[in-house]
Amino acid sequence: MTFLWQTWRTGLLTRSLEQLFRLPAWAPGWPVLRPEALSQPVRQELGQLCPSTAFSEEEGEFRLDLAKCVLCGRCFRNYPQAVGELRTLEVAVTRREDLVQRVDLATGSLVEPTPPPPTRAELHLPTLAFRHVSAGNTGLDDTEVALAGNPFHDMSRFGFSVVASPRHADALLVTGPVSQNMREALVRTYGATPEPKGVVAVGNEAISGEVFAGSPEVAGGVDKVLPVDVYLPGSPARPASILHGLLLLSGQARQVLVGGVLWVGR
Amino acid sequence: MEALREALSIGRPVALWYEAPHLRCLVEVPSEPPAPGVGYALKEFRVEMPFGVTRGSFPQVQPHLLAGEFPALDWFEREVGEGCGEALKPLRNHRLPYPFDRLEGLHEVPVGPVHAGIIEPGHFRFSVLGERIFHLELRLGYQHRGVERLFRGKSLEQALLLAERAGGEPVAHALAFGQAVEAALGVEVPPRAYQLRRVLLELERLFGHLGHLAGLFTDIGYAYAATQVGRVRALLQGQLERLTGHRYGRNALWVGGVGFDVDSQTQVEVRGALARLAAEAEAHLAAALKHPMVLDRMRYVGSVTQAQAHLLGLVGPAARACGIGRDLRQDDALYRPFTPVVRPGGDVLARAQVYAGEVRQSLAYLDRFLGELPEGALADTPAAPFGGDSREAYSRVEAGRGELFYWVRLQGSRVERVKIVDPSFKNWRALELAVRGMGLPDFPLINKSFDLSYAGCDL
Repeated sequence: MTFLWQTWRTGLLTRSLEQLFRLPAWAPGWPVLRPEALSQPVRQELGQLCPSTAFSEEEGEFRLDLAKCVLCGRCFRNYPQAVGELRTLEVAVTRREDLVQRVDLATGSLVEPTPPPPTRAELHLPTLAFRHVSAGNTGLDDTEVALAGNPFHDMSRFGFSVVASPRHADALLVTGPVSQNMREALVRTYGATPEPKGVVAVGNEAISGEVFAGSPEVAGGVDKVLPVDVYLPGSPARPASILHGLLLLSGQARQVLVGGVLWVGR
Repeated sequence: MEALREALSIGRPVALWYEAPHLRCLVEVPSEPPAPGVGYALKEFRVEMPFGVTRGSFPQVQPHLLAGEFPALDWFEREVGEGCGEALKPLRNHRLPYPFDRLEGLHEVPVGPVHAGIIEPGHFRFSVLGERIFHLELRLGYQHRGVERLFRGKSLEQALLLAERAGGEPVAHALAFGQAVEAALGVEVPPRAYQLRRVLLELERLFGHLGHLAGLFTDIGYAYAATQVGRVRALLQGQLERLTGHRYGRNALWVGGVGFDVDSQTQVEVRGALARLAAEAEAHLAAALKHPMVLDRMRYVGSVTQAQAHLLGLVGPAARACGIGRDLRQDDALYRPFTPVVRPGGDVLARAQVYAGEVRQSLAYLDRFLGELPEGALADTPAAPFGGDSREAYSRVEAGRGELFYWVRLQGSRVERVKIVDPSFKNWRALELAVRGMGLPDFPLINKSFDLSYAGCDL
């Protein structure tokens, strides 16, 4: 009887995508620039405030790199007029530049992004098998990948599974900034994966190196070593975001972020 | 060097690092006379080595000779010796040649660095006789990101980000770094922040331990218990997120205090949720750890003796499962009265029982901490002008995996140097001994019963 009761309850655990993609009220969202309020002193103060140097100013543009953000929320709490909050978990993108918000300082507006290219049709398959490779990750992104398979997220209902060998895989899930000691193992794992194959960079460490970017012991991002199909930001990437990234790769979901902001043209 | 030898013969090494011109060693010794409550003291020993660590710095030519007498020192020596590029078995520097132990006539099974599961990288070299593991050698360092070097010159906020990413337990690392800096700057943490930090630490320990247990049940093919325990684990993680806004509690601890507050409604709700989860965890763990199949699979598997645990200087649950009753929370006034969870077996079952016991213990402490949260400030801002003087301090925290050590030297308000000793660094050797004589298919189970952090060891 207890067993039946527990089984029935466990069956109810799995949450719908709409539920999963809702960010809990107590979690901070991503920062989003408000171009009209970015005066020179505010920009300077933002640059000093951010502990992970996500803000930068170059080529007449003020930039916010979401892949360097650690989601501490300091910027939008201290400068609500200049930085808003982007509350979405559907953050996976196919291009690195879609994680960078660029404000043209001459015109004082966001640089118009080009529409994102479609994801690769040869990976639009009913099921996808993934091989996970941790390349210098702290361990949390790895845990989150494992948790994307737990009863709450249940990625297997979308046809995703994590397999033991790259020979059986359609795509690699790579976490971590690619430590120099793991570079060869990663490249060889990629080489052992049969074509067509995709690469998903999971977490900010895997995309930009995040706080490890300056270390000579890391490559500073998966795309320095392998071609990346889907970038999945987060510090660490949340299981729901991981689901969105995998759905994006398999053609079951659309890209939501373009140029670092919600895309209105979709 | 004789002083060092004497120190090691009376205590357990906590940290060893080279800080020009000294080789510095911290050992934990029983305090004399045993003070009530605190039974241990840290002693520091310095050996002058003005020209750095070179081959022969350690007694009698070979860098590994001191480790021959004190095996607990082995990985420390390998780490320190690596700086001169002459370590016999380099720990992190993969540009140096690595001589594996070769056993003539035995079949070798190499595993890794890319594993079959969702796990961090490491290389295991088994020498097997049929199905039996005769010898295992670990080669780590694949996760080496140069963390300690990155700390140099960073502001305290930036350094805190690095500390949160140094090992698998962000709250414990942030806490240990924060405490070391606070000790160096003489900052007093307000009681509310002090207690809130322990709330996060216990939550992290809780879902870490439940994760280890769920992994153990998965590895023995007991899917029902794995799912149920994994479910409780995920919901507990939700409570940590509820409190801090981050699924692992990053960005929640600041130097001088905490960066979040708990209103009375959240406090009541989280406490209520924890009470419900405690009942569930208790029901599942009590049933699962008595299940004949679980006992059959875990008992007498992967044993480490108490003598081996002492020799290797094991810490945390791995040591407590060998009958060594040491837990740093014993020294914390907030936890009193505190009795460490100790089991004598030393096998996988004993470790699982320690995890389960500590889950109960942590839930009880969480209930207490959240029930009587003192009012007051959340952070004490460090006195503004630090000057340019150099200050240093160390701190220790009982993380989920054991004793975590941070030593910090500040130059003004910038970090000059950091030395981190993660509990995993001390415990990896235990795995090598635990698998001896076991069947090769038992390895995943034994590995999971320690569930050590690769990143924390490799830094």
